[in-house]
Amino acid sequence: MTTDKQASTWSTAAKEIVSGGAFRAFLSVVLGFVVGAIFMVFSSEAFLQALTYFTARPTDALSAGWTAIADGYSALFRGSIYNYKADDIVAALRPITETLRFAGPLIAAGLGVALGFRVGLFNIGASGQILFGALAATFVSTRVSLPWGVHLVVAAVVAIAAAAAYGALVGFLKARTGAHEVIVTIMLNYVAAGLLTFAFRQDYLLLEANGGGTPKSDPPAVTAQLPTLFGDAYTLHAGFLISLVGVVIYWWLMERSTIGFRFRMVGHNLDAARTAGINVNRTFVYAMAASGAFVGIAAVNQALGATAGLTPDLDGSIGFDAITVALLGSSTGPGVLLAGLLFGAFKAGAPAMQVIGLSPEVTGVIQGFIVLFIAAPPLVRAIFRLPAPQKTTVISDWWAGLRQKGAKK
Amino acid sequence: MKKITKRALSGLALAGAASLVLAGCAAAPDASQSAVEQLDYLACGVSDEGSWNDKSFNQSVYEGLTKSRDELGVQIQDAESTTPDDFAPNLQAMIDANCDLTIAVGFNLVDAVNKAAEANPEVNFVTVDGWSNGATNLKPIGYSMNQSSYLAGYLAAAQSASKVVGTYGGMQIPAVTDFMTGFYYGAQAWGADNGTTVKVVGWNPTNETGDFIGDFTPNSGTSKAIAAAQIQAGADVIFPVGGDQFGAVSEAITEAGIDGRMIGVDKDIAATSPEYSKWVLTSAEKRMTNAVYDIIKAIAVDKQAFTGDAYIGTLENGGTALSAITNYTGKQSQADVEAKLEELKAGIIAGDINPLG
Repeated sequence: MTTDKQASTWSTAAKEIVSGGAFRAFLSVVLGFVVGAIFMVFSSEAFLQALTYFTARPTDALSAGWTAIADGYSALFRGSIYNYKADDIVAALRPITETLRFAGPLIAAGLGVALGFRVGLFNIGASGQILFGALAATFVSTRVSLPWGVHLVVAAVVAIAAAAAYGALVGFLKARTGAHEVIVTIMLNYVAAGLLTFAFRQDYLLLEANGGGTPKSDPPAVTAQLPTLFGDAYTLHAGFLISLVGVVIYWWLMERSTIGFRFRMVGHNLDAARTAGINVNRTFVYAMAASGAFVGIAAVNQALGATAGLTPDLDGSIGFDAITVALLGSSTGPGVLLAGLLFGAFKAGAPAMQVIGLSPEVTGVIQGFIVLFIAAPPLVRAIFRLPAPQKTTVISDWWAGLRQKGAKK
Repeated sequence: MKKITKRALSGLALAGAASLVLAGCAAAPDASQSAVEQLDYLACGVSDEGSWNDKSFNQSVYEGLTKSRDELGVQIQDAESTTPDDFAPNLQAMIDANCDLTIAVGFNLVDAVNKAAEANPEVNFVTVDGWSNGATNLKPIGYSMNQSSYLAGYLAAAQSASKVVGTYGGMQIPAVTDFMTGFYYGAQAWGADNGTTVKVVGWNPTNETGDFIGDFTPNSGTSKAIAAAQIQAGADVIFPVGGDQFGAVSEAITEAGIDGRMIGVDKDIAATSPEYSKWVLTSAEKRMTNAVYDIIKAIAVDKQAFTGDAYIGTLENGGTALSAITNYTGKQSQADVEAKLEELKAGIIAGDINPLG
């Protein structure tokens, strides 16, 4: 009995973590920035130096601390949204396009992981699914020649299908053998990385023509490259639009479609879903395939958005960033979109922060703390067996009051 | 329970505050002039995924930047890449920061830096280990490694008791065989000087055949097998040209039970990897720190025009050199060999000796 109760405490905590509210997400972001500011202050040499004579001239330390924060976050702004120091408007607007370019794959992979969360599945394999999708896409984009337009569509569809198949394999193994999806996806990450590196190393497979010793593919054929959205001045390409379409499809799939209803039911209560006549095992396979398909859009972004040859680490850290994006976005379509944009901005802003001498790890620390603050309250409650706080709060009362007023009108 | 925790916490806080106050008692410094005159020249660097403290070429370049800052008074900025996605944005960040010169480190950045150079003709770039697709504002850094390898081959032959020396490469590409050819002719030169035949196994520059691992994987089984086979053929000094193969060679030497030596490449292996130092005879170094410093000095201090011509590290400009000789046990005295090496070096610089044949 007690173990049952414990198990339910933990599963409640897990559910709360993956479906946190928008307000809590917002507060977590604010807190993350506060922690980031502290990190910046204490990594500032000027501040640490001024600290050694704090009592003699405290203003030095205070102003050095303030300068560190102001410089850091204005660099982040300049690097991710608008570069007010640029000479011309084209350069000034480049940061926001870079943010969108980085956000594209993050949003798509975030949707894939989020879909898993909604079905109660932890898809840790986004990285492997990106690599497998990119492997298929690179084969089409460098080794097959097709006419303009058709080539890109075929390469994109093949990438999404390959990633979906790679995801479905996880669902199949879970449904058939009961293997835990976390372990299976982690192992399949290694398999995909190995396969990709192998293919990029062999000249009869994908190694670049006239290549050297390092594993690297040819750049995708011009006919298979995602077109840039605003000409040659910016690298932002149509991959971002595909990710946006993905958000709409995700929203429709999860909130409006029958299969999405089954997904949510399985995620909500496995036994109830089974009793209600839903084939849970089949739903796992479908859900992992759908999850992989969304991650496949990230593979399209990475493999066909490139204009140079690809290397085996083309997934970067997207596979794992996707987990944080899904958590921050509360596994909803709009939430993942906003979270992806935020993390895209972090990625785009990091070089500008490095240039002013901040360590590139600052944005990583901020991201980590954001997710920590989101995950912490339910976790802490579960660890200390605290009761959930009362549902009505000052803010929710105020909000409910507003809504009532609106309804009366 | 709660009270104790609270008290403990406040105690901790007090201790923290006290140490802060104690630490903060120093006198405030006065504004002081730095020793070097500051120049209005901004030199920037972008690393590859190895980061600046990789004990290899990234680090050498970064040391070149800091040396230029400390000795020339130029301003520097840098960015490290953690994934290939960072290459282009990091270079762009340097352009946005109005860098006068941006150094892109590593073969992996070659596509990104060529694109950046074409898109920003008013900014100067340097590619380390890369090449230029024709942009005149992009300078490649290259090395005449055959020159220092020639000296290494001469020294290897002097050290060898069996008068058989070995060399092998990561892959059969010019950047690798350049070392091996220099080594071959250096070893032959010792034989000619002393009237003995020296046998070089693993590379024949005339018909271009030799031993190659097939990739640059550090210390692979293949690498060790090649080293073991060369020892079997009598070699007691081995020159592996393929990044870090020193673990493989030292294992092969230990397992064969011979008094063997190896010669390092790129950095002074005896210093950077002290665990191998008991087998290291010397290293054929690529001194990128000097290359970076020289390039920055030529433009920022000597006001020379920037060109896209490759910077070639040679014995003459110190871009390549032999490290200090260690563990030498040859029949000739070390002083004699060192004197002869100096003579050869002068000959190569003067152009009297061709290390390639």
